[in-house]
Order: sequence, then C-alpha cells, then structure tokens
Amino acid sequence: MPASPGGEPGNGGGRGASRLCAEVVESERLPGDHHQLLLRAPLVAEDATPGQFVHVWCHSPDDIGRPPSAALLRRPYSISRLRLPDCIELLLRVRGIGGRILAGKSKGEELDLIGPLGNGFGIRESLRTAVIVAGGIGVAPVPFLVQALAARLVEVVVLVGAAYDAKLPYRVERTSAGSPTLPGLAALGAEVEFVSEATEGKLVSQLLEERVGDLDPDSDEVMAIGPRPMLKRLAAITEGRLRLQVSLEERMACGLGACRSCVVPAADGKGYKTVCRDGPVFYASEIDWERLEP
Amino acid sequence: MSGPDLSVKIGSLTMKNPVMVASGIFGYGDEFHDLADYGELGALVLKTITKEPRAGNPPACRTVETPAGMVNAMGLENVGLEAFLSEKLPAAMEYGTNIIASIAGDTPEEFAECTRALDETDVAAIELNISCPNVKKGGMAFGVDAEASAEVVAAVRATTKKPIIAKLTPNVTDIAAVAVACEEAAADAVSLTNTFSAMVIDIERRCPLLAAGTGGLSGPAIRPAAVYKVYQVAQAVAIPVIGMGGIWNASDALEFILAGASAVAVGTVLYADPAAGNRVLAGIREYLERHDVARLADLVGTVSIPHRLD
Repeated sequence: MPASPGGEPGNGGGRGASRLCAEVVESERLPGDHHQLLLRAPLVAEDATPGQFVHVWCHSPDDIGRPPSAALLRRPYSISRLRLPDCIELLLRVRGIGGRILAGKSKGEELDLIGPLGNGFGIRESLRTAVIVAGGIGVAPVPFLVQALAARLVEVVVLVGAAYDAKLPYRVERTSAGSPTLPGLAALGAEVEFVSEATEGKLVSQLLEERVGDLDPDSDEVMAIGPRPMLKRLAAITEGRLRLQVSLEERMACGLGACRSCVVPAADGKGYKTVCRDGPVFYASEIDWERLEP
Repeated sequence: MSGPDLSVKIGSLTMKNPVMVASGIFGYGDEFHDLADYGELGALVLKTITKEPRAGNPPACRTVETPAGMVNAMGLENVGLEAFLSEKLPAAMEYGTNIIASIAGDTPEEFAECTRALDETDVAAIELNISCPNVKKGGMAFGVDAEASAEVVAAVRATTKKPIIAKLTPNVTDIAAVAVACEEAAADAVSLTNTFSAMVIDIERRCPLLAAGTGGLSGPAIRPAAVYKVYQVAQAVAIPVIGMGGIWNASDALEFILAGASAVAVGTVLYADPAAGNRVLAGIREYLERHDVARLADLVGTVSIPHRLD
C-alpha cells in the first residue's frame, strides 16, 4: 500500500499546481442552498484526479491587490466533475460569505484559482468494485470519481445519505418499488442508493454495513466523503475487512501545506498530517481515529 | 535596465531589494514551489524551527479568518533542527535568493545551540523568534521583556558572525525599549511586528474557536498599528528595521518604509496572492521612479511629521 492513496506525500503543495484565471461558463442555482459553477480551467482539467481541490480567490482577479475586509483567504472546493476538454465543475454550499460571493458570479466573469491541489483518490489496477459512500455535501466530488472509475472499467456503487432531502444538491426519486435514488447521479452510470435520516430513518453507514459481507477485500474498496462521524463509523465497519479511502475536510489557510492549519492526527500516534497536502484523501489506516476531533 | 537602487544592507548582508517573505507564512519554502518567482525577492524567512521537532497545538482549530485578517495558533509545529538542515534548507536554497532561518527555544542556550549549527550553513541571516515562551521565566514570552530579549540576542551573538535579526512582538507596553535592548546586545536588525494577541469566541458553544484558546492576529487589520510600532522603533534605534504586519500592496509597504523600515515583509497576503511579494516589489520600483528617488535608502523614515509624536 502506498503511503497515501493518490500519490506520495510531498508531491502536493504548489508542485504540479497552476494558478490561472478561470472563466465562469455557467453559474446555476441548485436545490437547497447549493450552487454549481462551471469554469474553463484548462491546466486544472488536464491534470486533476478525483478528490483533488482548487483554492479559489472569491473576489475579482483584478482586485487581488486590494485587501478585502471579508473573505481574505481563498476557499477550497473539491472538483465535482470534469467537462472535457477544458472545464471543471464546482459544487458549493452557500453558507458563509465566500460561498455567497462565488454564487453571485455570472457567466463571463473570471476567478483566480490555484489547482489542482492535494492528493486525490487512488485507483489501483486490481480494483473491481468501488463502493462510494457520501454524506451531505460530500457528494460534491462523487461525479468526478464515478467518471474516473468508470473509465477504468470499475463497477461503481454509490451510497448517499443526508439528514433530509434538501441537504443534497440532487433531486431525490422515491418509487414504491425500489430504494430511493438520485437520477442525476445514476445518469453517470453507477448504481445509486439514497437514504435520508428524516424519511428512511437510516444512516448511510448502515447501507454499507448491509453490503459489507458481499465485498471482497482483494478486489473491492470503499471510498468515502462526508462528515467525520460518518467517516468514523465507516472506519470501524471496514477495519480489518476492507480497504477504505476517506476524504477529509478542515479549515485551510494556504492550501499548500505551508501553514499547518488543517492538520489531522496521524496513525503513528504523535505527528499530524495536513489535509491540504498529504490529503485530502487518506487511507483510513493513516489516520488516528481516536484522536480525530468530531 | 538601470532603475533605482533598491538594495538594503542588514549587517554584513546585502539584499538586492527590500521585499522579504515573513516567517511562518511560507513554510520551509518548497510548499509554494513555483507559484511565483520567489528568487526575485530580497530574502525568504523560513518557518521557525526549534532544536527538537514539535507537534504544535491540537488541531480543530488552528486558524480562524476574521475581518481583514486571520488569527492563528499553530504552536510552533516544526520539523526540528536536524531535518531542517538535512531536508528543508537545501530545498529552500534552490530559490536562489537569501534564505533566512528563524529560530526559537525555551532558553537562550537553546537559541545559541541552533545558531551554532546554522552558522555552518549558507543561511544569509538568523531571525530570533523571541515571541515564544521563556520557560525559565514561567512561560512569559522573551520578547515582552527587554532584558530577556537582550539575553537571547547576546547568547546568539556569541556564537555567530552572521547577521542577527530580533523579531519583536507588538504585545508590549514599550516596543522601542525592547528594540533598544536588542540593539545594545548587538542585533544587526529588528523585525516587527509579529502578530497581535487575539481571541475569537464561538458563541454557540461558548468557548474559544482556537484549540489553543488564544492566538495571533495578522493581515490588513493590524497594518496601521504595525506601521506606528515601526515608526516608534525606528525613532529609537540606529540598526535597520524590517517592517511587516498586514502588507497587501506596494502602498502598504511604502507606509512602512516612510515610517522607518529599511525592508518590508509580506505574510498573510501570500495565502491570497502567492505572487504578492513580486507585486509589492514592482510597485515600490514604480513609486521610486515616479518620485524620482534614486535610492530606496533615501526614502526610509522620511515621513514628515508636523509635530513630534510620542
């Protein structure tokens, strides 16, 4: 097993990343408080792997020389989808000032971004089935991940959970026959199952638990993105049984591994790893789950 | 092309221009890689190291964005002297400009020990992060006490001929007195300001947002306060002053220079604009040309004050 899923630590940071002005090609409001931006960012689209992120300056690139009173720092967003040849999609949850400014961008405006940053998901040669588990806004990088897995002929199952339907940027479909699903995600060619705590009264980790016996540790793998309590449960479920890759979120300042803001406890018991540079995707075995803050 | 003379002398060190990168922000240098031409700048000050590696403060959280600034409490997380010398420094040297090491310690002896090792390297100068706690004096920062600051400078001075820069904390009653004490202990320059002590409270949980409880405020929010500190110190010492604190553009940097800074450093702005140092440098050059100033040194401390300020 390599030290880190998507590459060796130390290859991240500014190495391999570009800084560019990306043109907003589409800006679209999605269900709930979500927003989608399609950006023309050729150098990022060429190099990115699923799970990597871009670090976005929220204000106009022309204003980089003027100190803003709010949203001083860049905002990290995982790449949600590639639209080849040269575009990337970002999925934002509009909560804070940064998201609000970005959601206000319209077609033709430009954004100063740095990326792709961090280490993404690793897709090993022998992988046959990938079970992606996503909670809430954790679905953001899922389309890109499904795209990449499908291109490698990996069978993909996506399990999505949310506290209630509107916590998702996707429309939910409930029929009397089958399990609820998300047509928007299923259209990418994966089997998709959805649960909401409010309607189904179930956690997404329970969906994995139901399937875990059918998975083969040699050829199958779990890839998870979502809130930490969910990731902790998945780590417990898969421990000693299945390989698990997790994508972590943390407050960032530099996004390059320099400032040490976004650290998480490493499994070696003493040190820390940076989410921005060593991650955001880690093998579950790299993280000290006991010491990880909820 | 012959433009204005931007060079700056700090002890035996000559920098080609006055724009530096402040310690802490830039990591050990390799993280930013080629997001800008860092070799173009006068000097790069690397993240503070201590003799032994330190894990730093607990995570969640170490940094909070605030209006026009950020508050951080990393807790001096660093790789330690040995890894710095074998891995980090050689990589930073590849930028092709002056590399300045920043050091901290629990005692003056620990500062001296790090300096002895750095004295044998190609670092251009050594910056003393005296804002760290003084273990022998109950954990109060060396930098809040003129005498303790001078002790650190003297201990380091005895072990090296390389230029020594004392980095001053603004969290004192009389920063000029600390600067004078450092000058008398034979520091070659002082740099200021470090961050301003600060706290951010999570009102829902009714506890501080930073895991460490308190931290240091940086960014444009502190700039006017830092400019005034630089002015006060420049009035009191003859050694060069390196000014920093919220510099975002060339106008900000020129305020520090007019207040008495011979050189300036960019910090927090690099997280928004990795090329901010280059942008500031271009703006300073343009200003000197526009005002027909042949040498940057002629501009330092030339703010004209209608009546004496205290």
